[in-house]
Amino acid sequence: MQIFADISENVQKGRMKAVKELVEAALAEGISAERILSEALVPGMGVIGERFKNGKAYVPEVLMAARAMTAGTELLKPHLAAAGAVAAGRVCIGTVQGDLHDIGKNLVRMMMEGKGLEVIDLGTDVPAEEFVRCAVEKDCRIICCSALLTTTMDVMADVVRAAEAAGIRDKVYIMVGGAPISEEFCREIGADCYAADAATAADAAVAYCREKAE
Amino acid sequence: MKNDRVILTLNGIPREVPRGMRLAEAIAGSAGREMPCGGHGKCGKCRVHARGRLSPLTDAERRHLTAGEIRDGVRLACLAHVLGDAEVKTSGAAEGKILTDGISHARWENPAFSRCGLAVDIGTTTLAAKLWSPAGEELCSAACLNPQSFAGADVISRIEAAMAGRGAELAAAVRRAIGELIVLLCDRAEISPEEIDAACFTGNTAMLHLLTEEDTTPLSRAPFAVRRRFGESLSAGELCIAPLRAETEVYLPPCISAFVGADMACALLADLPGGGTRMLVDIGTNGEMALVREDGIFVCSTAAGPAFEGVGISCGMRGETGAIDRVTVVNGKLLAHTIGGGAPRGICGSGLADAAACLLDLELMDESGCLEEESIPIAGKVSLTQGDVRALQLAKSAISAGAHTLLCETGTNLSEISRLSVAGGFGNYLNMRSAIRIGLLPAVPEIVPIGNAALSGASMLLGDIGLRQEICRMANEAKTVALAGNDRFAEFYMNGMLFGVE
Repeated sequence: MQIFADISENVQKGRMKAVKELVEAALAEGISAERILSEALVPGMGVIGERFKNGKAYVPEVLMAARAMTAGTELLKPHLAAAGAVAAGRVCIGTVQGDLHDIGKNLVRMMMEGKGLEVIDLGTDVPAEEFVRCAVEKDCRIICCSALLTTTMDVMADVVRAAEAAGIRDKVYIMVGGAPISEEFCREIGADCYAADAATAADAAVAYCREKAE
Repeated sequence: MKNDRVILTLNGIPREVPRGMRLAEAIAGSAGREMPCGGHGKCGKCRVHARGRLSPLTDAERRHLTAGEIRDGVRLACLAHVLGDAEVKTSGAAEGKILTDGISHARWENPAFSRCGLAVDIGTTTLAAKLWSPAGEELCSAACLNPQSFAGADVISRIEAAMAGRGAELAAAVRRAIGELIVLLCDRAEISPEEIDAACFTGNTAMLHLLTEEDTTPLSRAPFAVRRRFGESLSAGELCIAPLRAETEVYLPPCISAFVGADMACALLADLPGGGTRMLVDIGTNGEMALVREDGIFVCSTAAGPAFEGVGISCGMRGETGAIDRVTVVNGKLLAHTIGGGAPRGICGSGLADAAACLLDLELMDESGCLEEESIPIAGKVSLTQGDVRALQLAKSAISAGAHTLLCETGTNLSEISRLSVAGGFGNYLNMRSAIRIGLLPAVPEIVPIGNAALSGASMLLGDIGLRQEICRMANEAKTVALAGNDRFAEFYMNGMLFGVE
């Protein structure tokens, strides 16, 4: 449908106003909120995510696209809730204790939301126990930890230990990311998944939720 | 073997080095050393003036240096080797472009010294210094690069290096650089370092920690609770500043927080006169800003990254000879101005802001920052790529989002701001129209560059001992607005990526 292509195009270009207008127009035409989300907004964000992963798009584009997408999704929310749409999975995310950097974490959150996941954002400076408490209380399948400082990345190991202590280690998938984090570090601390960028993180989270649902 | 060592005179100070040693290592730790490409002869940025018994000029050096430079004895420190006694000057290479001047309205009513006063601003990238007479006469100034760059260009890598056990090395490097500056200043003023009888060293919080070998751990992680805020006097002996008499008093002005240091406190002191609601912004790798109102001072700090220093920009360079520093549109075409007038070698921060503004005006770039082509030529071999624009967007948005969050969190309307002062070297060369056009600075009726205001403030503290109380009161009362984890900041930051209002 042309309007889907237009919405996707404007999401990619980060044009918030145009996206809002088009989403409203699509709703007025009687197109279902689910279709607008899954056939226009999500694919648009997907294109940017893919380009970002391949080094063809930069952080500002992803941020601008996410901003446009979020604005579109906000308009859909009342309709989606009314139709009883179910999220693909629930994730809690946060920047670990001692670290206040949240740009990367926010990007991951937006990418995940763009993929239809329900994301609980714990913010920055989050103690290990808080991740685990949230995962238990809100029944999250995935815990996502972000860190930008080499001085704070070790808190991720505490998250893994806290999940073990709470007896939920086999029930949650622990994902780690951030500038100083590597595959080796992830393995070393016993986390489940390292993602090099926001798009990869969102893909991995969706893949895990799908696998669990089957 | 003894005869395998030769004498290398570095900035007037002789030192013994092994024969055959590369200049880069022979001058290691000295003020002015800078090797962005890691010493591989690729960037041509480690220029030094050298003469004496050196290895012959290499082809790579011929490529990087102009005929005039070769005639003047300029070499690349990463490629030249010391074969016998030689003389090297480093500070002069970078000095010309480092800003030492700033606004000044010092009250020389009650100077902290009787013979000669020394003010130093220790920046993450550069050091700037001035000598003063008790009558308030500026005797001379000098500047050099911060030699701590061997441990990384940004503050956090220095903090981490200090935590990893390199604190003594970092302290020694900056103390040696200050020592060299003092020798240079005294040479220029034709006085002896012994005559300096009081000093004021300002700098950001991390720099003062590194200078005093204070534990940097509190600066490395939240809650960033600074244990030592300075606003205290030490002796030159305690600080190991060699050329000064050991008992000479060195005043270290107070820091406001882990991110807003004594340099900002000094800039505020220098910019204080004048009433109304005002803002002060210092644009560097970290953008520090303050909102001054009748009822108090509010500050914040935002990570802009080094894009305005030319780092991470494909043709980026510091504002030195060969850098495009201004770009305008004439008859629908880009017209670039190059420092020194020769062929452009790259583009510096002010040129970058201008270029982006011009591309917007020419509609070669849309408001989302998308270029008509992957790369747009600016002048000569210098062009602006899509990646450069994206890096600029991240940097300018961090600054503008910081300013807007500061206003928003304090319930201040932009229209209440009567004046915006821009401190620092970049602010001095920045075209304010371009800054507003690209959304780096908010549109305020009066935007004034105030130069190296940190050094001005440090000089004022030398000129009037009574101001120490005032600056301590200001630093204590200033309220910090936290940007990390701040939802308003996150929103301003995202919106700020755009050029112009949607």
